[in-house]
Amino acid sequence: MPATTSLAQPVLRRILTVSLLMGSLLILSAFLGVSIGSTDHSLSRVLALLFSLTDADPTLSSIVWRIRLPRVLLAALVGSTLSLGGLVFQALLRNPLAEPYILGVSGGSAVGAIAGILLGLSPFPGVAFLAFAGSMATLFLVLVIASARAAMKKDTLILAGVMVNAFCSSVIMFLISLTQDSRLHNILFWLMGDLSMSDTNRTLFLLIALLPCFASLFLLARPMNVLLMGEEMAANMGVNVRVMSVALLLVTSFMVSAVVCQAGLLGFVGLVVPHLLRLLLGPDHRVLIPACILGGASYLVLCDLLARSLPAQGEMPVGVITAMLGAPLFIILLQRSRR
Amino acid sequence: MKTALAIKDLTHGYGRQPVVNGVTFSISEGEFFIIIGPNGSGKTTLVRAISGAIKPQTGQVQILGRPLQTFSRKGLARNIALVPQAAPADVPFTVADVVLMGRSPHLNLLAIEKQEDLELAERAMAFTHVRHLAQRRLDQLSAGERQRVLIARAICQQPRIMVLDEPTAPLDLAHQVHIMDLLERLRTEENITIVMVSHDLNLAAMYADRLLLLKDGILISLGQPSEVLTFETLERAYGCVLLVDENPVKKVPRVTLVPNSILSARFREAEAGCSEK
Amino acid sequence: MFSNHQWPTRRRLFTVFIMLMLCLLNTRDSEGKVARDQLGRTVSVPDHPVRIVSLAPSITEIVFALGEGNRLKGVTQHCDFPAEARALPQVGSYVHLDLERIVALKPDLCIAVRDGNPRHVVDKLEELGIPVYAVDPRNLDTAVNTVLELGQLLGATPRAEALADSMRSRIERVKMSAARADQRPRVFFQIGIAPIVSAGDNTVIHELITMAGGNNLAAGSLPYPRFSREQVVALRPEVLIITSMTKEQDLDQVRNAWQQYDSLPAVRNGRIFVVDANLFDRPTPRLIDGLETLAAIIHPELF
Repeated sequence: MPATTSLAQPVLRRILTVSLLMGSLLILSAFLGVSIGSTDHSLSRVLALLFSLTDADPTLSSIVWRIRLPRVLLAALVGSTLSLGGLVFQALLRNPLAEPYILGVSGGSAVGAIAGILLGLSPFPGVAFLAFAGSMATLFLVLVIASARAAMKKDTLILAGVMVNAFCSSVIMFLISLTQDSRLHNILFWLMGDLSMSDTNRTLFLLIALLPCFASLFLLARPMNVLLMGEEMAANMGVNVRVMSVALLLVTSFMVSAVVCQAGLLGFVGLVVPHLLRLLLGPDHRVLIPACILGGASYLVLCDLLARSLPAQGEMPVGVITAMLGAPLFIILLQRSRR
Repeated sequence: MKTALAIKDLTHGYGRQPVVNGVTFSISEGEFFIIIGPNGSGKTTLVRAISGAIKPQTGQVQILGRPLQTFSRKGLARNIALVPQAAPADVPFTVADVVLMGRSPHLNLLAIEKQEDLELAERAMAFTHVRHLAQRRLDQLSAGERQRVLIARAICQQPRIMVLDEPTAPLDLAHQVHIMDLLERLRTEENITIVMVSHDLNLAAMYADRLLLLKDGILISLGQPSEVLTFETLERAYGCVLLVDENPVKKVPRVTLVPNSILSARFREAEAGCSEK
Repeated sequence: MFSNHQWPTRRRLFTVFIMLMLCLLNTRDSEGKVARDQLGRTVSVPDHPVRIVSLAPSITEIVFALGEGNRLKGVTQHCDFPAEARALPQVGSYVHLDLERIVALKPDLCIAVRDGNPRHVVDKLEELGIPVYAVDPRNLDTAVNTVLELGQLLGATPRAEALADSMRSRIERVKMSAARADQRPRVFFQIGIAPIVSAGDNTVIHELITMAGGNNLAAGSLPYPRFSREQVVALRPEVLIITSMTKEQDLDQVRNAWQQYDSLPAVRNGRIFVVDANLFDRPTPRLIDGLETLAAIIHPELF
């Protein structure tokens, strides 16, 4: 290798290149997302509508702007958040199987959401609020359990999260066993992850909550890199490991909860996307964070597109697709990375 | 000569028993200072306290005349760099990435390296002879190469003081000498104060300006190698008989292990000699 | 200008706002009428809706029973009665509706049920300018009223009244016959196979059993109580009725499983029956078929 290229391409250029590529992928996915759906409309008509070339058919216009677009936006936000959440937890806990729900967020929010559904609350803000409250409560519980010992060890965190999640599952099963009427369907859809409740206002609300989280995580990208060198070395390189870890935990869990309470539990997005991107782009979080935000968004937009358009009689919950695609994809990635 | 490090009455422990107990000493700038002592004598705890990785229970650490706790984390990192004993082996980064990480305490919020940072990393890698490995991943290197990368990283941090915890322990003889020569060059060319922990008494004697001998957290001896490495002191510290003579290469003490079988044979001979008289 | 679902490009946001305001103002005095649905919501519906999407199997049945099936442009996955309904475009299942498919059918009216259709879909449809009329039939009486209301909504009042009259008179006939019975057999009505679920108070099934002259063993405050096998045996039902939501084969198994408990009067007297679930869980004119079926099972001597 010639001496002049011994250093990697300057990181700023890599960030911009990757963001540009991933951004184009997202735009393409979003374009497909609004162009294709469960009903057939010719692509040329959709194109004409998108670029407002002709006076649009009001039905098509309703479908594209008020049904598909909010849904594509919601899918994008949810996909970004879950991928980013997975990435952060994998780095922070140094566990390749860490996923955004690992610290009890899924169990807590599910209990909250199911309680909300059983109480007959409206999906927003009622159920969403209870789901958010539930996940925050379990996160708090996990942190209390894990910090009961002097130093917050990552294994204790994971164990506490798994245990709290397991307990929550039993509560979920109990609540489900009490339910017989049509609310059962609502619960099941929620547990499988469902984007059909998208709504422009709620999506904007979510965007406002998520953008600061994305930005602060990006600023913490370099400390996250350093953290991978081990806590002691990170501390010696000027990183306040404890404050950093707690900040990462809180910001990530907050944004994942915000997303979970809107879309239910979507499996595998937070596992597959970060691993795939890490395999492609290397371990630098300054590159991976923007890549995960844009790539995760594209992934879920495409999965949701399949969920909406594949079934002949009506859409299926997108969680089914993410898991069906995600699990085999993850196995392939595992094989590749072993090599 | 200015004082780089001043440790006063430092005590720290993890349970009830202190691991480091009332240690006081100071290190001058540009000194090559090696801490020796048997297993569990508190060497690692001492260097962790010096580098700010742990906060001692009592006592004070002063760095370049300033109390350690008045430094910000980044400020401390700009003055003192640590090469820990057990560097993680499963780091997914390339050598260049790892070395560049040393720039962390010098970077602003956005943490994007500038040209000068890249040049510093280049120089650090050249200095420790790992430039040809720049694009290799850390987990693909040999132990000696990895240690040189970690030292390059510490150099990149541009510290005044470099603290190393047994940097030569896993290495063969050639690599040991290589690393020690590197540290010696750092000291003479960059005037970096070197504080290191070592198990190898002969290596320590060869390179150190001064040695500090710890046992059970207590400072037993401090001074030039010839003052510390004496038969009595070593027997007191290690609890076994060690032969001390002069190194033929440099006028420093040389320590030799004496196997128990030889020792008892000699002892019997001596006894026999006595009874004959 | 009654352009409720017009949505011009984003660039003309201001225009959109003005138009939306105009729409809001206009809906009140434009063509069409304002109806109050069974949830007490005010809905502006066209005078003569011709593109109707039914959001539940019961609605589909009623609309066909009113002879207006040709005005249905979309139904749900489970709308299987009458057979013609199966040929219509489907918009998902009634608990998980596909908004896009509904909108694409350009309905001028959607008819929803309160129990089952998700509220957010209804809200979203209204937001998109599609009127949704919701019904909430909970017993025989409201089922008859629903037929009348939908008749009015579709402008098929005469047909609806005739249908309602026939429903009422058939109910009366069953009631009168049942009144002649000297005892009320103990009836256990099993919905589904595992777990064993029955119907208690405030359910149509309870109402039908009672009206048909039976004593519903599951009566109690819970609408759909769960039973263990042991509890059912202890209740000593004289008539055991199982609804067929599942395959024939499974039903035979359930029937055989009960056969081994010959302490049950229902088993000794061979009074285990399998009935079509759709006659009992859809509040439609077919409920009366369900009522007559039950009456014939419970009091074979009278019917």
